[in-house]
Amino acid sequence: MKILVCLKQTPDSTVRVKVAADGRSVDPSGVTWAISPYDEYAVEMALERKDADPTTTVAVVTVGPARSKDALRQALAMGCDEATLVDGAAAETLEGLAVARALAKVVDEAKPDLVLCGRQASDDDQGLVGPALAELLGWPHVATVTKFAPAEAGPPGGTNGIDVWKEVEGGHEVWRASGAAVLTVQKSEKEPRYPSLPGIMKAKKKEIPEKDAGALGIEANAATLETVKMEPPPARGGGRILKDGDMKQTAAELVRLLREEAKVL
Amino acid sequence: MKVWAIVERSQAGIRRVSLEVAAKAKDLGDATVLEVTGVERYSSLAAVSALANEAAAGAPDLILIGATPTGRDLGARLAARLGWAYASEATGVSVEGSNAIVGRTMYAGKVRATVRAALPAVVSVRPGAFAIPGGAAEPQVKAVAADGRAERLAFQRFEPTAAASGRVPLAEARVVVSGGRGLRGPENWKMVEELAGLLGAALGASRAVTDAGWRPNEEQVGQTGRTVTPDLYIALGISGAIQHLAGMTSSKVIVAVNKDPEADIFKVADYGVVGDLFEFVPAFTEEVRKVKEKG
Repeated sequence: MKILVCLKQTPDSTVRVKVAADGRSVDPSGVTWAISPYDEYAVEMALERKDADPTTTVAVVTVGPARSKDALRQALAMGCDEATLVDGAAAETLEGLAVARALAKVVDEAKPDLVLCGRQASDDDQGLVGPALAELLGWPHVATVTKFAPAEAGPPGGTNGIDVWKEVEGGHEVWRASGAAVLTVQKSEKEPRYPSLPGIMKAKKKEIPEKDAGALGIEANAATLETVKMEPPPARGGGRILKDGDMKQTAAELVRLLREEAKVL
Repeated sequence: MKVWAIVERSQAGIRRVSLEVAAKAKDLGDATVLEVTGVERYSSLAAVSALANEAAAGAPDLILIGATPTGRDLGARLAARLGWAYASEATGVSVEGSNAIVGRTMYAGKVRATVRAALPAVVSVRPGAFAIPGGAAEPQVKAVAADGRAERLAFQRFEPTAAASGRVPLAEARVVVSGGRGLRGPENWKMVEELAGLLGAALGASRAVTDAGWRPNEEQVGQTGRTVTPDLYIALGISGAIQHLAGMTSSKVIVAVNKDPEADIFKVADYGVVGDLFEFVPAFTEEVRKVKEKG
């Protein structure tokens, strides 16, 4: 089975995000970049399949600026087989639908059996690229996936299709895809693996081919969505702290405050 | 200005977020409320195909849908099918000329943004973002039959999470009670459940707790889990990692209980209790029971 994982490099989720002076973008100074968390789960999910069936190959692709190569390198070090960067001036500011168009071109060339994406990128939080890519390819997609496996009735290798576990309210639905599909990943079964030292050495030497978004026919100027303002969320705090008291009295006092002051009980 | 609201139904009737979206559509213009019918389990292709045909005929300017897991999935693919602008998890929507002005969070809640979406557009709306006017009649709903011929996936079965049935869905809950590592083990969730039951609340959890397997993943609140915006969020034994805070900091009122007075959760709490939650929670539950019984 040939799997393609689409990923995005975003600010590491443990860092604070500062709004830039222009008031409509994020200040990149001091930002540590990483694979977007859901995309990292997607990489792990693909590699778990490769662990189970070594004939599986896992390729990764991203659309973004040159720094995104580090994220691809990280994925290679985790165990992915090959990586492609779609960059160029046009790739810097593409919105979701245009990113999906660029990815669709890569899929047309690479011809994977299965495409995995994170359910949303941790920067814009849109959750558009996965479903939009499936739409452009004319493939079905399954969202909020936590697991997939060769269809139970089928032979190993998944040629009879795959069963896909979709997280929904109250449990999981299992869906069968008999042909190519896009899965948007909620979480992998295991935490994403750390790259091994040999993995890191191997990844360093690997060639990462670059494709120019403009050359793929992708244009940035057709934007239908424009960010006009960014601001930090309103500051909270200055809350009332109850301590040192008898817990029974504290509980009664809190119930009173929630009823009379906050009016939420 | 033609505005469509797509609604979802649960066993109890039209979902609350759908009523919010329908009310907002009416505010914004000439509203039509639609529901995809004829499928037991939602899957995108049959619904998108039916709605895209409907949109081609009806030519709405704006389609609103509740940002439930289904709504976000459907909204994104429908926008791609139509080639329209798309914005997800809106907390505010207005129209200015030929654009929708959408308020939404980015970076998992660390940034609030205003975006301009060129109409026509599809916008998914975060539960709790808009009020349902008091005394409003249930909207008239136009049924749109799902296009079964477009389906390409085959439903196999449903695997329920143990003991999850009948719970309030996390994303839409007006009260959330969340537990963290301070609860020391899954066996201590009984008291969390009891309190949540009294409050009609959904259960949430910190990532440490879902990663440890104490609670199911779907209860995780924060960056790689759910973003919640209830009227009341109660954090029990949660220290407040930045990823957790991002997912709950837009709640209206936050209560935190933790024995460490330096815990980061207190920086966002409206009411903080420094103390032993094993003493506090049972006492608090009793006090809540008293006022609930009085009515």
